[in-house]
Amino acid sequence: MIRVVTLTRVDPADLTALTKTLYRAFGVGTEHVGDREPPATNGAKGRVDAVALIAAAPPVRAFADDKVLFITDAPLTVPPGPLGEPPAYGYAEYGGRSAAMTLARLPARGVTETSIEAWRRRLAREAIHFVGHLWGLHHCCDARCAMHPSWSQSLSPTPDADLCTFCREKSEDRIRSAKT
Amino acid sequence: MRGQTYRPDSARDELPAAEGTVTDPSTLAPGQRLIYPGQGVCEITGVEAKEIAGQQLEMVRMRRLEDGAAVLVPKGKVASIGLRRLPTVEQVEGVFHYLGASYDAPELDWKTRHRDNADRLLLGGVLGVAEVVKGLNGLSQLRPLPTKERELYDHARHLLVAEISAALGVPPGIAEDYVDYALMPPAGVKFQLKPPPPPVLPPAKPRPRRGGIAEDLADLGLPDLELEEAEEEAEGEGEPSAAGGEEGEAEEAAPEEVRHPAAKAAAKAHPPARKTVAKKAAPKKHAPAKKAPPKKRAPAKPARGGKKK
Repeated sequence: MIRVVTLTRVDPADLTALTKTLYRAFGVGTEHVGDREPPATNGAKGRVDAVALIAAAPPVRAFADDKVLFITDAPLTVPPGPLGEPPAYGYAEYGGRSAAMTLARLPARGVTETSIEAWRRRLAREAIHFVGHLWGLHHCCDARCAMHPSWSQSLSPTPDADLCTFCREKSEDRIRSAKT
Repeated sequence: MRGQTYRPDSARDELPAAEGTVTDPSTLAPGQRLIYPGQGVCEITGVEAKEIAGQQLEMVRMRRLEDGAAVLVPKGKVASIGLRRLPTVEQVEGVFHYLGASYDAPELDWKTRHRDNADRLLLGGVLGVAEVVKGLNGLSQLRPLPTKERELYDHARHLLVAEISAALGVPPGIAEDYVDYALMPPAGVKFQLKPPPPPVLPPAKPRPRRGGIAEDLADLGLPDLELEEAEEEAEGEGEPSAAGGEEGEAEEAAPEEVRHPAAKAAAKAHPPARKTVAKKAAPKKHAPAKKAPPKKRAPAKPARGGKKK
Protein backbone atom coordinates (compact mmCIF):
# COMPACT_ATOMS: atom_id res chain seq x y z
CA MET A 1 0.00 0.00 0.00
CA ILE A 2 1.20 3.49 -0.81
CA ARG A 3 0.19 6.13 1.71
CA VAL A 4 0.37 9.76 0.70
CA VAL A 5 0.74 12.30 3.51
CA THR A 6 0.49 16.00 2.74
CA LEU A 7 2.49 18.46 4.83
CA THR A 8 0.86 21.35 3.00
CA ARG A 9 -2.51 22.12 1.52
CA VAL A 10 -3.07 20.34 -1.78
CA ASP A 11 -6.21 20.46 -3.92
CA PRO A 12 -8.27 17.28 -3.37
CA ALA A 13 -8.73 16.88 -7.14
CA ASP A 14 -4.97 16.89 -7.56
CA LEU A 15 -4.61 14.26 -4.86
CA THR A 16 -7.27 12.09 -6.48
CA ALA A 17 -5.43 12.27 -9.79
CA LEU A 18 -2.15 11.49 -8.01
CA THR A 19 -3.43 8.41 -6.18
CA LYS A 20 -4.98 7.09 -9.40
CA THR A 21 -1.71 7.50 -11.28
CA LEU A 22 0.33 5.86 -8.52
CA TYR A 23 -2.09 2.93 -8.50
CA ARG A 24 -1.80 2.60 -12.24
CA ALA A 25 2.01 2.76 -12.16
CA PHE A 26 2.65 0.21 -9.42
CA GLY A 27 -0.59 -1.78 -9.23
CA VAL A 28 -0.64 -1.21 -5.47
CA GLY A 29 -3.46 0.37 -3.50
CA THR A 30 -2.87 4.05 -2.86
CA GLU A 31 -4.61 6.34 -0.41
CA HIS A 32 -4.31 9.85 0.90
CA VAL A 33 -3.85 9.52 4.65
CA GLY A 34 -4.47 13.20 5.35
CA ASP A 35 -2.77 16.45 6.17
CA ARG A 36 -0.10 16.62 8.87
CA GLU A 37 1.79 19.49 10.46
CA PRO A 38 5.25 19.89 8.89
CA PRO A 39 8.07 19.04 11.33
CA ALA A 40 10.16 21.91 12.65
CA THR A 41 13.34 21.44 10.65
CA ASN A 42 14.99 24.69 9.81
CA GLY A 43 17.65 24.56 7.13
CA ALA A 44 19.80 27.25 5.63
CA LYS A 45 18.05 29.96 3.57
CA GLY A 46 14.62 28.67 4.47
CA ARG A 47 15.29 25.30 2.91
CA VAL A 48 14.64 22.04 4.69
CA ASP A 49 17.11 19.18 4.87
CA ALA A 50 15.36 16.31 3.08
CA VAL A 51 16.97 13.60 5.21
CA ALA A 52 16.08 15.43 8.43
CA LEU A 53 12.53 15.97 7.21
CA ILE A 54 11.94 12.26 6.88
CA ALA A 55 13.60 11.53 10.20
CA ALA A 56 11.37 14.09 11.93
CA ALA A 57 8.22 13.40 9.93
CA PRO A 58 5.02 12.82 11.86
CA PRO A 59 4.26 9.17 12.54
CA VAL A 60 1.98 7.46 10.06
CA ARG A 61 0.24 4.22 10.76
CA ALA A 62 1.56 1.76 8.18
CA PHE A 63 2.06 -1.99 7.90
CA ALA A 64 5.06 -3.93 6.66
CA ASP A 65 6.02 -3.10 3.09
CA ASP A 66 3.78 -0.04 3.08
CA LYS A 67 5.38 2.98 1.49
CA VAL A 68 4.81 6.48 2.80
CA LEU A 69 5.21 9.56 0.62
CA PHE A 70 5.32 12.98 2.25
CA ILE A 71 4.49 15.97 0.09
CA THR A 72 5.69 19.39 1.19
CA ASP A 73 5.86 22.80 -0.43
CA ALA A 74 9.08 23.74 1.40
CA PRO A 75 12.20 23.77 -0.76
CA LEU A 76 14.37 20.80 0.10
CA THR A 77 18.12 20.45 0.25
CA VAL A 78 20.58 17.58 0.38
CA PRO A 79 24.19 17.64 1.60
CA PRO A 80 26.58 18.82 -1.13
CA GLY A 81 28.60 16.17 -2.90
CA PRO A 82 32.10 16.25 -4.41
CA LEU A 83 30.87 18.25 -7.44
CA GLY A 84 28.30 20.37 -5.64
CA GLU A 85 24.74 20.11 -4.45
CA PRO A 86 22.33 18.36 -6.78
CA PRO A 87 18.87 19.95 -7.11
CA ALA A 88 16.60 18.29 -4.57
CA TYR A 89 13.17 17.40 -5.87
CA GLY A 90 12.85 15.06 -2.94
CA TYR A 91 14.53 12.25 -1.14
CA ALA A 92 13.73 8.57 -0.69
CA GLU A 93 15.17 5.92 1.58
CA TYR A 94 16.41 3.53 -1.08
CA GLY A 95 14.49 0.28 -0.63
CA GLY A 96 13.04 1.70 2.58
CA ARG A 97 9.70 2.99 3.81
CA SER A 98 9.54 6.76 3.55
CA ALA A 99 10.11 9.37 0.90
CA ALA A 100 9.54 13.09 0.71
CA MET A 101 9.02 15.30 -2.30
CA THR A 102 8.61 19.02 -2.69
CA LEU A 103 6.22 21.04 -4.80
CA ALA A 104 8.63 23.98 -4.77
CA ARG A 105 10.52 22.79 -7.86
CA LEU A 106 7.49 21.95 -9.97
CA PRO A 107 6.44 24.42 -12.65
CA ALA A 108 3.67 26.88 -11.77
CA ARG A 109 0.26 25.25 -11.53
CA GLY A 110 -1.48 28.05 -13.39
CA VAL A 111 -5.22 28.47 -13.72
CA THR A 112 -5.98 27.06 -17.14
CA GLU A 113 -7.09 23.49 -17.64
CA THR A 114 -4.03 22.71 -19.72
CA SER A 115 -1.56 24.06 -17.19
CA ILE A 116 -3.30 22.30 -14.31
CA GLU A 117 -3.27 19.05 -16.26
CA ALA A 118 0.47 19.47 -16.98
CA TRP A 119 1.13 20.26 -13.32
CA ARG A 120 -0.74 17.17 -12.17
CA ARG A 121 1.22 15.04 -14.61
CA ARG A 122 4.49 16.44 -13.33
CA LEU A 123 3.40 15.92 -9.72
CA ALA A 124 2.50 12.31 -10.50
CA ARG A 125 5.82 11.81 -12.30
CA GLU A 126 7.84 12.97 -9.30
CA ALA A 127 5.70 10.89 -6.95
CA ILE A 128 6.27 7.78 -9.09
CA HIS A 129 9.98 8.58 -9.12
CA PHE A 130 10.34 8.65 -5.34
CA VAL A 131 8.01 5.72 -4.68
CA GLY A 132 10.08 3.85 -7.31
CA HIS A 133 13.18 4.47 -5.19
CA LEU A 134 11.32 3.03 -2.22
CA TRP A 135 10.77 -0.14 -4.26
CA GLY A 136 14.48 -0.32 -5.02
CA LEU A 137 14.55 1.26 -8.48
CA HIS A 138 17.60 3.22 -9.54
CA HIS A 139 17.68 6.16 -11.90
CA CYS A 140 16.94 5.15 -15.46
CA CYS A 141 18.84 6.13 -18.60
CA ASP A 142 15.60 6.35 -20.61
CA ALA A 143 14.52 10.01 -20.64
CA ARG A 144 10.85 9.02 -21.06
CA CYS A 145 10.85 6.96 -17.87
CA ALA A 146 9.69 8.47 -14.59
CA MET A 147 12.90 7.19 -12.98
CA HIS A 148 15.07 9.44 -15.15
CA PRO A 149 16.73 12.16 -13.03
CA SER A 150 14.36 15.07 -12.63
CA TRP A 151 17.00 17.70 -13.48
CA SER A 152 18.28 16.03 -16.63
CA GLN A 153 18.51 18.13 -19.77
CA SER A 154 17.10 15.25 -21.78
CA LEU A 155 13.85 15.39 -19.84
CA SER A 156 10.88 16.65 -21.82
CA PRO A 157 9.21 19.86 -20.51
CA THR A 158 6.02 17.83 -20.09
CA PRO A 159 7.34 14.41 -19.11
CA ASP A 160 5.14 11.33 -18.98
CA ALA A 161 4.09 9.93 -15.64
CA ASP A 162 4.98 6.35 -16.44
CA LEU A 163 7.77 3.82 -16.02
CA CYS A 164 9.74 2.24 -18.83
CA THR A 165 9.40 -1.50 -19.42
CA PHE A 166 12.57 -2.37 -17.52
CA CYS A 167 11.68 -0.31 -14.44
CA ARG A 168 8.09 -1.52 -14.51
CA GLU A 169 9.15 -5.15 -14.57
CA LYS A 170 11.70 -4.59 -11.85
CA SER A 171 9.18 -2.86 -9.63
CA GLU A 172 6.65 -5.63 -10.26
CA ASP A 173 9.26 -8.19 -9.22
CA ARG A 174 9.99 -6.29 -6.03
CA ILE A 175 6.33 -5.86 -5.21
CA ARG A 176 5.64 -9.53 -5.90
CA SER A 177 8.46 -10.63 -3.61
CA ALA A 178 7.43 -8.26 -0.81
CA LYS A 179 6.54 -9.92 2.47
CA THR A 180 2.91 -8.90 2.48
CA MET B 1 25.21 -10.41 -13.24
CA ARG B 2 24.57 -10.96 -9.58
CA GLY B 3 25.95 -14.46 -9.70
CA GLN B 4 29.07 -13.56 -11.64
CA THR B 5 32.00 -15.64 -10.48
CA TYR B 6 35.73 -15.29 -10.73
CA ARG B 7 37.35 -17.44 -13.37
CA PRO B 8 41.10 -17.84 -13.51
CA ASP B 9 42.62 -16.00 -16.45
CA SER B 10 46.32 -15.48 -17.06
CA ALA B 11 45.73 -12.21 -18.96
CA ARG B 12 43.80 -10.82 -16.03
CA ASP B 13 46.40 -11.92 -13.52
CA GLU B 14 49.05 -9.88 -15.33
CA LEU B 15 47.12 -6.68 -14.66
CA PRO B 16 47.99 -4.57 -11.64
CA ALA B 17 45.51 -5.11 -8.84
CA ALA B 18 42.90 -2.43 -8.23
CA GLU B 19 43.75 0.11 -5.57
CA GLY B 20 43.00 -1.14 -2.07
CA THR B 21 42.95 -4.83 -2.98
CA VAL B 22 43.51 -7.05 0.05
CA THR B 23 46.56 -9.18 -0.53
CA ASP B 24 47.25 -10.29 3.02
CA PRO B 25 44.23 -11.98 4.65
CA SER B 26 45.82 -11.74 8.09
CA THR B 27 45.09 -7.99 8.07
CA LEU B 28 41.34 -8.62 8.00
CA ALA B 29 39.49 -8.00 11.23
CA PRO B 30 35.85 -8.35 12.28
CA GLY B 31 33.83 -5.19 11.73
CA GLN B 32 35.92 -4.16 8.73
CA ARG B 33 33.96 -3.27 5.59
CA LEU B 34 35.16 -4.59 2.26
CA ILE B 35 34.03 -4.55 -1.34
CA TYR B 36 33.36 -7.96 -2.82
CA PRO B 37 33.67 -7.45 -6.60
CA GLY B 38 30.34 -7.90 -8.32
CA GLN B 39 28.50 -8.36 -5.01
CA GLY B 40 28.76 -5.10 -3.11
CA VAL B 41 29.75 -3.88 0.31
CA CYS B 42 30.30 -6.60 2.91
CA GLU B 43 31.22 -6.49 6.57
CA ILE B 44 33.50 -9.08 8.15
CA THR B 45 31.78 -10.85 10.99
CA GLY B 46 34.54 -13.27 11.90
CA VAL B 47 36.95 -15.98 10.90
CA GLU B 48 35.98 -19.61 11.39
CA ALA B 49 37.32 -23.05 10.58
CA LYS B 50 35.25 -25.33 8.36
CA GLU B 51 35.76 -28.83 7.12
CA ILE B 52 34.97 -29.04 3.42
CA ALA B 53 35.58 -32.22 1.42
CA GLY B 54 37.82 -33.55 4.15
CA GLN B 55 39.94 -30.41 4.24
CA GLN B 56 40.16 -28.09 7.20
CA LEU B 57 39.78 -24.58 5.79
CA GLU B 58 39.93 -21.24 7.50
CA MET B 59 37.07 -19.12 6.22
CA VAL B 60 36.39 -15.41 6.47
CA ARG B 61 32.72 -14.92 7.18
CA MET B 62 31.14 -11.73 5.83
CA ARG B 63 27.71 -10.24 5.72
CA ARG B 64 26.51 -8.32 2.72
CA LEU B 65 25.24 -5.00 4.05
CA GLU B 66 22.53 -4.65 1.44
CA ASP B 67 20.52 -7.70 2.40
CA GLY B 68 22.45 -9.47 5.16
CA ALA B 69 23.42 -12.40 2.93
CA ALA B 70 26.23 -14.54 4.37
CA VAL B 71 29.43 -14.79 2.36
CA LEU B 72 32.20 -17.26 3.21
CA VAL B 73 35.61 -16.89 1.59
CA PRO B 74 38.56 -19.24 2.21
CA LYS B 75 41.51 -17.25 3.52
CA GLY B 76 43.70 -18.58 0.74
CA LYS B 77 41.33 -17.19 -1.90
CA VAL B 78 41.03 -13.68 -0.51
CA ALA B 79 43.73 -12.27 -2.78
CA SER B 80 42.59 -14.00 -5.95
CA ILE B 81 38.93 -13.02 -5.50
CA GLY B 82 39.86 -9.36 -5.51
CA LEU B 83 38.37 -8.27 -2.19
CA ARG B 84 39.24 -4.64 -1.67
CA ARG B 85 38.92 -2.01 0.99
CA LEU B 86 36.40 0.81 0.78
CA PRO B 87 37.60 3.55 -1.58
CA THR B 88 39.09 6.60 0.05
CA VAL B 89 37.46 10.01 -0.28
CA GLU B 90 40.20 11.03 -2.75
CA GLN B 91 39.47 8.00 -4.90
CA VAL B 92 35.76 8.79 -4.87
CA GLU B 93 36.47 12.39 -5.84
CA GLY B 94 38.54 11.10 -8.74
CA VAL B 95 35.58 8.98 -9.80
CA PHE B 96 33.30 12.02 -9.81
CA HIS B 97 35.78 14.01 -11.86
CA TYR B 98 35.87 11.11 -14.28
CA LEU B 99 32.06 10.94 -14.40
CA GLY B 100 31.75 14.67 -14.93
CA ALA B 101 34.27 14.74 -17.80
CA SER B 102 33.08 14.72 -21.38
CA TYR B 103 32.01 11.43 -22.94
CA ASP B 104 34.35 9.16 -24.77
CA ALA B 105 32.99 7.42 -27.83
CA PRO B 106 31.41 4.20 -26.55
CA GLU B 107 32.74 0.86 -27.74
CA LEU B 108 30.38 -0.26 -30.50
CA ASP B 109 31.43 -3.88 -30.80
CA TRP B 110 29.13 -5.59 -28.32
CA LYS B 111 31.43 -8.56 -27.71
CA THR B 112 34.38 -6.37 -26.80
CA ARG B 113 32.12 -4.12 -24.76
CA HIS B 114 30.59 -7.00 -22.84
CA ARG B 115 33.98 -8.58 -22.10
CA ASP B 116 35.55 -5.29 -21.04
CA ASN B 117 32.60 -4.39 -18.87
CA ALA B 118 32.66 -7.76 -17.11
CA ASP B 119 36.40 -7.40 -16.46
CA ARG B 120 36.03 -3.84 -15.23
CA LEU B 121 33.29 -4.79 -12.81
CA LEU B 122 35.31 -7.62 -11.33
CA LEU B 123 38.81 -6.19 -11.36
CA GLY B 124 38.66 -2.48 -12.04
CA GLY B 125 37.93 -1.18 -8.57
CA VAL B 126 35.51 1.68 -8.03
CA LEU B 127 36.79 3.46 -11.14
CA GLY B 128 36.15 0.37 -13.24
CA VAL B 129 32.55 0.26 -12.05
CA ALA B 130 32.20 3.96 -12.84
CA GLU B 131 33.58 3.33 -16.31
CA VAL B 132 30.93 0.71 -16.95
CA VAL B 133 28.17 3.07 -15.80
CA LYS B 134 29.48 5.96 -17.84
CA GLY B 135 30.13 3.87 -20.93
CA LEU B 136 26.67 2.32 -20.96
CA ASN B 137 25.07 5.64 -20.13
CA GLY B 138 26.84 7.17 -23.11
CA LEU B 139 25.70 4.31 -25.30
CA SER B 140 22.12 4.70 -24.11
CA GLN B 141 22.15 8.23 -25.46
CA LEU B 142 22.92 6.88 -28.92
CA ARG B 143 20.41 4.04 -28.92
CA PRO B 144 18.31 2.09 -26.42
CA LEU B 145 20.30 -0.52 -24.52
CA PRO B 146 19.47 -4.18 -25.14
CA THR B 147 17.97 -6.03 -22.19
CA LYS B 148 21.18 -7.70 -21.00
CA GLU B 149 23.13 -4.47 -21.11
CA ARG B 150 20.31 -2.63 -19.41
CA GLU B 151 20.55 -5.18 -16.61
CA LEU B 152 24.30 -4.78 -16.51
CA TYR B 153 23.91 -1.00 -16.37
CA ASP B 154 21.48 -1.29 -13.48
CA HIS B 155 23.75 -3.73 -11.65
CA ALA B 156 26.84 -1.54 -12.15
CA ARG B 157 24.92 1.50 -10.99
CA HIS B 158 23.77 -0.41 -7.92
CA LEU B 159 27.37 -1.37 -7.05
CA LEU B 160 28.67 2.14 -7.67
CA VAL B 161 25.99 3.75 -5.53
CA ALA B 162 26.62 1.26 -2.71
CA GLU B 163 30.38 1.89 -2.79
CA ILE B 164 30.06 5.66 -2.88
CA SER B 165 27.42 5.61 -0.20
CA ALA B 166 29.65 3.55 2.09
CA ALA B 167 32.77 5.58 1.31
CA LEU B 168 31.20 9.01 1.80
CA GLY B 169 28.85 7.96 4.59
CA VAL B 170 25.70 9.23 2.90
CA PRO B 171 22.43 7.38 2.24
CA PRO B 172 22.30 5.51 -1.11
CA GLY B 173 19.55 7.80 -2.41
CA ILE B 174 21.82 10.82 -2.07
CA ALA B 175 24.86 8.96 -3.42
CA GLU B 176 22.87 8.20 -6.55
CA ASP B 177 21.92 11.87 -6.89
CA TYR B 178 25.64 12.73 -6.74
CA VAL B 179 26.41 10.20 -9.47
CA ASP B 180 23.70 11.49 -11.78
CA TYR B 181 24.49 15.10 -11.03
CA ALA B 182 27.96 14.39 -12.43
CA LEU B 183 26.74 12.21 -15.30
CA MET B 184 23.77 14.32 -16.38
CA PRO B 185 24.29 17.83 -15.05
CA PRO B 186 21.36 20.27 -15.15
CA ALA B 187 21.29 23.00 -17.76
CA GLY B 188 23.79 25.77 -17.10
CA VAL B 189 25.93 23.80 -14.65
CA LYS B 190 29.62 23.46 -15.45
CA PHE B 191 32.04 21.70 -13.18
CA GLN B 192 35.61 22.71 -12.46
CA LEU B 193 37.08 19.32 -13.09
CA LYS B 194 40.50 18.01 -12.23
CA PRO B 195 42.20 15.59 -14.60
CA PRO B 196 40.46 12.25 -14.05
CA PRO B 197 42.44 9.20 -12.95
CA PRO B 198 43.86 7.00 -15.72
CA PRO B 199 41.29 4.55 -17.07
CA VAL B 200 41.26 0.88 -16.16
CA LEU B 201 42.89 -1.24 -18.84
CA PRO B 202 41.05 -4.47 -19.45
CA PRO B 203 43.23 -7.47 -20.27
CA ALA B 204 43.97 -7.80 -23.96
CA LYS B 205 42.65 -11.11 -25.17
CA PRO B 206 43.34 -12.57 -28.60
CA ARG B 207 40.31 -12.11 -30.78
CA PRO B 208 38.96 -15.12 -32.66
CA ARG B 209 40.40 -15.12 -36.13
CA ARG B 210 37.95 -14.25 -38.85
CA GLY B 211 38.17 -14.60 -42.58
CA GLY B 212 37.42 -10.90 -43.01
CA ILE B 213 35.78 -9.73 -46.22
CA ALA B 214 36.57 -13.04 -47.95
CA GLU B 215 34.26 -14.76 -45.47
CA ASP B 216 31.63 -12.09 -45.97
CA LEU B 217 31.81 -12.56 -49.74
CA ALA B 218 31.39 -16.27 -49.25
CA ASP B 219 28.23 -15.51 -47.24
CA LEU B 220 27.00 -13.39 -50.13
CA GLY B 221 27.39 -16.33 -52.50
CA LEU B 222 30.49 -15.08 -54.30
CA PRO B 223 33.09 -17.57 -53.14
CA ASP B 224 33.85 -18.99 -56.61
CA LEU B 225 35.00 -15.70 -58.00
CA GLU B 226 37.41 -15.19 -55.16
CA LEU B 227 38.69 -18.74 -55.20
CA GLU B 228 39.53 -18.58 -58.90
CA GLU B 229 41.51 -15.44 -58.32
CA ALA B 230 43.16 -17.02 -55.36
CA GLU B 231 44.21 -20.07 -57.26
CA GLU B 232 45.60 -17.97 -60.09
CA GLU B 233 47.51 -15.72 -57.74
CA ALA B 234 49.01 -18.75 -56.10
CA GLU B 235 49.96 -20.17 -59.47
CA GLY B 236 51.45 -16.89 -60.67
CA GLU B 237 53.54 -16.50 -57.59
CA GLY B 238 54.50 -20.13 -57.52
CA GLU B 239 56.48 -20.03 -60.75
CA PRO B 240 59.33 -17.75 -59.67
CA SER B 241 59.47 -19.31 -56.24
CA ALA B 242 60.73 -22.58 -57.63
CA ALA B 243 64.19 -21.02 -57.98
CA GLY B 244 65.21 -20.78 -54.35
CA GLY B 245 64.40 -22.06 -50.87
CA GLU B 246 63.86 -18.62 -49.38
CA GLU B 247 61.17 -17.88 -51.89
CA GLY B 248 59.40 -20.99 -50.79
CA GLU B 249 58.40 -19.03 -47.69
CA ALA B 250 56.80 -16.45 -49.93
CA GLU B 251 54.97 -19.25 -51.64
CA GLU B 252 53.52 -20.34 -48.31
CA ALA B 253 52.55 -16.80 -47.50
CA ALA B 254 50.82 -16.22 -50.79
CA PRO B 255 47.60 -18.16 -50.11
CA GLU B 256 47.17 -16.30 -46.83
CA GLU B 257 47.45 -13.00 -48.62
CA VAL B 258 44.84 -14.09 -51.05
CA ARG B 259 42.47 -15.02 -48.25
CA HIS B 260 42.46 -11.51 -46.83
CA PRO B 261 41.21 -8.95 -49.31
CA ALA B 262 42.96 -6.18 -47.42
CA ALA B 263 46.24 -7.95 -48.01
CA LYS B 264 45.12 -8.51 -51.59
CA ALA B 265 44.70 -4.79 -52.03
CA ALA B 266 48.17 -4.27 -50.63
CA ALA B 267 49.51 -6.89 -53.03
CA LYS B 268 48.04 -4.94 -55.94
CA ALA B 269 50.47 -2.18 -55.11
CA HIS B 270 53.30 -4.43 -56.39
CA PRO B 271 53.39 -3.92 -60.21
CA PRO B 272 54.43 -7.44 -61.40
CA ALA B 273 51.89 -9.31 -59.33
CA ARG B 274 49.15 -6.85 -60.22
CA LYS B 275 49.71 -7.20 -63.94
CA THR B 276 49.70 -10.98 -63.99
CA VAL B 277 46.61 -11.23 -61.85
CA ALA B 278 44.73 -8.62 -63.81
CA LYS B 279 45.51 -10.19 -67.14
CA LYS B 280 44.67 -13.69 -66.12
CA ALA B 281 41.63 -12.87 -64.09
CA ALA B 282 39.98 -10.68 -66.68
CA PRO B 283 39.00 -13.32 -69.27
CA LYS B 284 37.71 -15.76 -66.66
CA LYS B 285 35.54 -13.09 -65.11
CA HIS B 286 33.95 -12.34 -68.45
CA ALA B 287 33.62 -16.00 -69.49
CA PRO B 288 30.46 -16.76 -67.52
CA ALA B 289 28.96 -13.50 -68.70
CA LYS B 290 29.33 -14.57 -72.30
CA LYS B 291 27.78 -17.93 -71.65
CA ALA B 292 24.87 -16.44 -69.83
CA PRO B 293 22.99 -14.77 -72.73
CA PRO B 294 22.39 -18.00 -74.74
CA LYS B 295 20.78 -19.51 -71.66
CA LYS B 296 18.26 -16.71 -71.68
CA ARG B 297 17.57 -17.16 -75.34
CA ALA B 298 17.18 -20.90 -75.00
CA PRO B 299 13.58 -20.91 -73.78
CA ALA B 300 12.61 -18.67 -76.69
CA LYS B 301 13.64 -21.30 -79.27
CA PRO B 302 10.87 -23.81 -78.67
CA ALA B 303 8.40 -20.98 -78.92
CA ARG B 304 9.67 -20.07 -82.33
CA GLY B 305 9.60 -23.71 -83.34
CA GLY B 306 6.05 -23.90 -82.15
CA LYS B 307 5.10 -21.06 -84.37
CA LYS B 308 6.64 -22.85 -87.33
CA LYS B 309 4.68 -25.92 -86.57
